[in-house]
Amino acid sequence: MNINKYVFGKFLSHTVLIIWSISIGMLVYFIIISAMKTNRTVFRQLWSLPEKLNMSNFINAWSNLDFGRYTLNSVIVVLAAVALIIIISAPASYALTRMKIRFAQPITFFYIAGIGVPFQLLLIPIFKILAPLNLIDTLPGLILVYTVLSMPFTVFLLTGFFLSIPSELEDSAYVDGCNEFQTFFKIMVPMATPGIVTAGIFNFIALWNEYLLALVFTSSSQNRTLSLGLYSLYSSLQYTSDWVTIFAASVLSIIPTMILFIFLSEKLIAGITLGSLK
Amino acid sequence: MKLKTRRTYIAWIFLAPSLILYIYLFVFPTIEAFRISFYKWSGFSANIEFVGFNNFLRLIRDSSFLAALNNTMLLLVIGGIGSFLLAFIFSYLLNSGIKGKKLYRTIIFFPFIVAPVVLSIYWGLLVYNPRVGILPQLLNIFNIEALSNIVFTDASNIFWSVLFIVVWSRVGFYLILLMAGIERIPPFLYEAARLEGANELQMFFKITLPLIKEVLVIAMIFWGIQAIKMFELFYAFGGILPPRALWTNAIYLYIMGFGKRDPIFQLGYASAIGVVTLLLVIIVSIIIRKLVKREVYEY
Repeated sequence: MNINKYVFGKFLSHTVLIIWSISIGMLVYFIIISAMKTNRTVFRQLWSLPEKLNMSNFINAWSNLDFGRYTLNSVIVVLAAVALIIIISAPASYALTRMKIRFAQPITFFYIAGIGVPFQLLLIPIFKILAPLNLIDTLPGLILVYTVLSMPFTVFLLTGFFLSIPSELEDSAYVDGCNEFQTFFKIMVPMATPGIVTAGIFNFIALWNEYLLALVFTSSSQNRTLSLGLYSLYSSLQYTSDWVTIFAASVLSIIPTMILFIFLSEKLIAGITLGSLK
Repeated sequence: MKLKTRRTYIAWIFLAPSLILYIYLFVFPTIEAFRISFYKWSGFSANIEFVGFNNFLRLIRDSSFLAALNNTMLLLVIGGIGSFLLAFIFSYLLNSGIKGKKLYRTIIFFPFIVAPVVLSIYWGLLVYNPRVGILPQLLNIFNIEALSNIVFTDASNIFWSVLFIVVWSRVGFYLILLMAGIERIPPFLYEAARLEGANELQMFFKITLPLIKEVLVIAMIFWGIQAIKMFELFYAFGGILPPRALWTNAIYLYIMGFGKRDPIFQLGYASAIGVVTLLLVIIVSIIIRKLVKREVYEY
């Protein structure tokens, strides 16, 4: 009786989890197969495999609709922003947690409070600051905006990680004659790598998928990011009805985050786990 | 003593680039937004007029704003209950010694990394669409009369349809947080409770919940902030101009400030919406902290 109940429970658990997983797997399956169909056939056989491996939608999106350029823009903007975020936030978080700076706690709180600010509120004032600097509708301008708006969350994550590193390590580094910079780069950065990797992946995913800031701070099509290009294509759909190109562009937009996910999801999950238990 | 001054000095060098940038492009703009919220201003002209609290008084009487605020609150509360309930159910299923725990967890987390536009396309076309969507077809096959006439994307249902997408795509993140907390609870507590004859629900409320309080507070505040600021999925799902049923505070702010097809440029009014939204974030964070008192259990 009890064993039956146990087996039934297992069966039920798997059923629930498998149905949920299928709804997720369908997304990947559907976007990929549809990207290889034509606008004539895509709605007729919505779920069936394409007749042949047809790459013309990708070629069309990549060269005719300029998605090659958008992809390049996204790669440049997102990688530069993520690098910049880490380069300035990691030393700051270290200083705030380990260097016994004055007002460390209020300053840390001052950063973290920024997480709560809806960034739509800042669009107008930031625009006003960047316009006289000629940074509107440029990639460096967008990189700057991405960097600044990602700082509160990154500092929140990294201060948590630096706090968890035992201080004996630091002390012995000083005793051994390391200066502050050597201690930071040789001891603390390697120790905080899980945190830095987590912060990097998190910011990469968020910025890669972001389109509102790109919409506000860029205007010419040559400065579009992939995610904004996809959004523009999607919102002009009622005029073009060009579904298959959208699917091809969706595949392009999903590839980098998916690769990152496949190789680093365990690291990311471990990072979230560690960071949240501070 | 000299060493200490040197260290403080270097600490400020570490902090300076980040702090300067943050003050210049984050803190100043926040203060500036508060200031703008007391003005009537269309943006790029010099026509700027101080109106005191008028923008805020207008908000209270603006039915579009109240509808957006209502949506934001529904998202916060109903979406929050849905996300955490599901996250708890999944964590219970995954911790019951089931095979493939890590694989399931990874799959459930996956939608978190997918762009909102792609989520909109998949759900809008493939799942909800009345003609080709899989959900209406399934309801038809199983002949569920009461449900098969539902149009998931019409004005009265579209908000709930998108709300479900939010829960579906975010639950994996909260699942990871909760599981991290649950895995730290020593198993002997459950064994002891079982020997005493406690059932699963009792163990959940008496052991699991109190012992993951810290993680739960972080997760709930995180949800609160994300929900109140929610923009992209609702905006993308609406296509060229999202219907009013999908407006949240953030979307209404954007529409009033930047418009879309016909720009409105009521920047003062839009800033007032943002200020109210920020106050909402602060209030909700405080309530969650008070609600789940921060007693730390030692074990």
